[in-house]
Amino acid sequence: MLRITGGKVYDPANGIDGVVKDVCISDGRIVSQVEGGRSIDATGLVVFPGGVDVHTHVAGAALNFARGLTPEHMRRGLPFVHTPEFRAGLGGITPTTFATGYLYAGMGWTTVNEAAMPVLSARHTHEELHDTPIVDKSTLVLMANNEIVLDLLEAGELERARHVVAWLIGAAKAYGVKAVNPGGVVNWKYGHDAKKLFESIDGYSKVTPARIISDLATIIDDLGLPHPLHIHCNNLGAPGNFTTTIETMKVLEGRRAHLAHLQFHSYGGDDWGSMRSEAATVAEYFNTHTNFTTDAGAILFGNTVTITADGPWQHVLYQLTGHKWGNLDVENETGCGIVPYVYKEHKLVNAIQWAVGLELLLLITDPWRIFLTTDHPNGACFWRYPELIRLLMDVEYRRECVNRLPEEAQKRIVLADLDRKYTLSDIAIITSAGPARALGLTQKGHLGVGADADVALYHANPDPSLMFEYPRYVIKSGEVVVEDGEIRSVSNGRQFLVQPPFDEHITEYLRPVFQKVYTMSFDNYPVEMERIRRPEVIGTV
Amino acid sequence: MGGKITCTLGEVKNRADFIIYWGGNPAECHPRHFTKYTLTQKGRFVPEGRKGRFMVLVDIRETPSVKAADLFLQIRPGKDFEVLTTLRALVKNQRVNAESVAETGLSVDQLQDLVNRMKRAKFGVIFFGMGLSMTRGKHMNSAGVLSLAAELNAFTKFVCMPMRGHGNVTGSDMVLRWSTGYPFGVSLSRGYPRFNPGEFSTVDLIVRGDNDAALILGADPGATMPQPGIDHLARIPTIVLDPKVTHTSRLSRVHITTAVTGISAPGTAYRMDEIPLPLRPALKSPYPTDEEVVRRIREAVAAKPAWSPETHVRAAIA
Repeated sequence: MLRITGGKVYDPANGIDGVVKDVCISDGRIVSQVEGGRSIDATGLVVFPGGVDVHTHVAGAALNFARGLTPEHMRRGLPFVHTPEFRAGLGGITPTTFATGYLYAGMGWTTVNEAAMPVLSARHTHEELHDTPIVDKSTLVLMANNEIVLDLLEAGELERARHVVAWLIGAAKAYGVKAVNPGGVVNWKYGHDAKKLFESIDGYSKVTPARIISDLATIIDDLGLPHPLHIHCNNLGAPGNFTTTIETMKVLEGRRAHLAHLQFHSYGGDDWGSMRSEAATVAEYFNTHTNFTTDAGAILFGNTVTITADGPWQHVLYQLTGHKWGNLDVENETGCGIVPYVYKEHKLVNAIQWAVGLELLLLITDPWRIFLTTDHPNGACFWRYPELIRLLMDVEYRRECVNRLPEEAQKRIVLADLDRKYTLSDIAIITSAGPARALGLTQKGHLGVGADADVALYHANPDPSLMFEYPRYVIKSGEVVVEDGEIRSVSNGRQFLVQPPFDEHITEYLRPVFQKVYTMSFDNYPVEMERIRRPEVIGTV
Repeated sequence: MGGKITCTLGEVKNRADFIIYWGGNPAECHPRHFTKYTLTQKGRFVPEGRKGRFMVLVDIRETPSVKAADLFLQIRPGKDFEVLTTLRALVKNQRVNAESVAETGLSVDQLQDLVNRMKRAKFGVIFFGMGLSMTRGKHMNSAGVLSLAAELNAFTKFVCMPMRGHGNVTGSDMVLRWSTGYPFGVSLSRGYPRFNPGEFSTVDLIVRGDNDAALILGADPGATMPQPGIDHLARIPTIVLDPKVTHTSRLSRVHITTAVTGISAPGTAYRMDEIPLPLRPALKSPYPTDEEVVRRIREAVAAKPAWSPETHVRAAIA
């Protein structure tokens, strides 16, 4: 039992905006009243629901590939020394699993959504999540380049495709479905990309990226998954790609979808020399179409490593940078590419990218529909979120930063004209209440009675980056896990997943199809529920 | 330069029409590789199976794998790096010196023919073995072959994969990477992970005699290590967990017999393409599993007074 007294509470989901009130906790949940137990004097502190990351890459084959590929980054990572209670690890750009849990919790974030998991290596992703302490977790399974599903779309068998998708989600022990560069990764298997939404992809006559997007969104809505189709649009990172992004939204008319890392999809111009921000155009369309949510995927200047299932884009990036390149094509399902990258303030393209992320956060008017992410580690590491919060809350500081950009870049962005200033309540929405709602996690992102007792308490500070990087207390499931920057106790978070219903006979169809094109036994494909630590099945709607 | 362009084995089965094995003898060392993944399987885009694929073997000597190859290129020992570098130059249409190339045991024409074939392939793959990665040039050879595959992607689809073996070595690599950030050669002596191949890698550590105890699981270094390393293992308290008697168990102080993983103990094994497979035991064993033994050792150690670099330092200061 725990009572937090005297803190200024920001709980936008319940309409509470900076009100001094008590928060009571019992058995890991928020309750209306407690008798006795520990009490935390939060006078002068700001009380937030624990942060929720809607899109991050913290576990699995791709991230582990990146760790192995960049020992020069790892050795500069923050060392975590082992003690009888804590495991050793390294922070840095691709933190080790234990460090990931400590770092997220240390910042006040208590739920993370791993956004890209192949079914074939889902067992590996779950093994890493098993070793990621404190935070609650969920995963999205990659589906838009799954050739068994695409074959069914080609044949027009949408009904059977729905059962297959449901079976695959259950087999992977996933929470939702991710579409990455629909069709583009299939084409990449023979070295091409899918740049046009309405052109059929290699090996298919009827299946186009648009068709995949549309059919998958329909299937996800029919299945009633708590989180809608989570889509990484075609043409990521390419100048002029804003048209693809808007076309994608048009294809999705009337259905729910979450557009991942929108920053990487809002560029104008015809090539790298003429690239400019089209955040305003994308935001205008987005603002008037309430069937979408998105996350910023903002970039910050500095060293990072890009990791994506978008194989063809990573080949382009390798050719552009001449840096190391990792690629891993996953049979019949997806791919992945890895290229270390440095975003530099004085580089025109990077300066524009930096501005686009912020412009989207400022121009999309409803904070309940755009969330704070950096597409960790692609745009920047998750532990740099406080820097972004400062850029949103401090208009003067933002202007100073814009003035430092190359003059040519300043002509191609609109950031200098934007006066919008995020309030603490807005920050609570984009870091917690909004993403929790978009994920359909009703017990997360708020401090109402019955919610999970995940709470972050910060010292009020005029510099928001200092305020948010160093919480006074972090409480996870009612337990104080961080106190003044020190991890106090290490619990194991839950794993959220969905088990949408499917026709039991679907395995009879799948088994022979699977055995023909895979190199693993069909019976070994699904991840056993016993391998999931603290699973919690969330119902479909 | 650097990186790794690879895929899972099913992509090879479904798509590869051009396969190179370099510095390996899969017919004897990975006997099911040809039939399960690379050559004889009918793939989704290679419906003819073996007839739809062209196989090249590069090695310093004739091995039983030659029989399976459409083309065998025999190079002089220790010349892998030179051949790889020449190929990378030819891929980019750069001039090469015919005399230097001849020293490798192959002619420019032979290598140009190989490059033409590689570029004509729809989906090419290079598997490389320890004959490449552990001979003269070592990691530079691996970097050379990985770069060759990466650079070929400017012309067609090409991937590359090391032929790993020795049980679940890939699994150990994976777990070390997610828990420490590094695949091997990790030292935790300062309480956090540090990586320095040559300094912390097992063979170097043992040959130098830096360690004063050894716990060995799922490996038989007594059979494969240089003699000074074997001598050192015999000198120090060496504990071996193994289902059977091995060279290492014979020189160890303690040999704990454990159940055979995959036959009578469950677990996970990672394939060479980093895909995890669940292991389901078919038999029961009277012996404990590796996991159980390690857990019990750990519990016994935990029952002792806590030691960590931090407490150690504090105690030293006090």
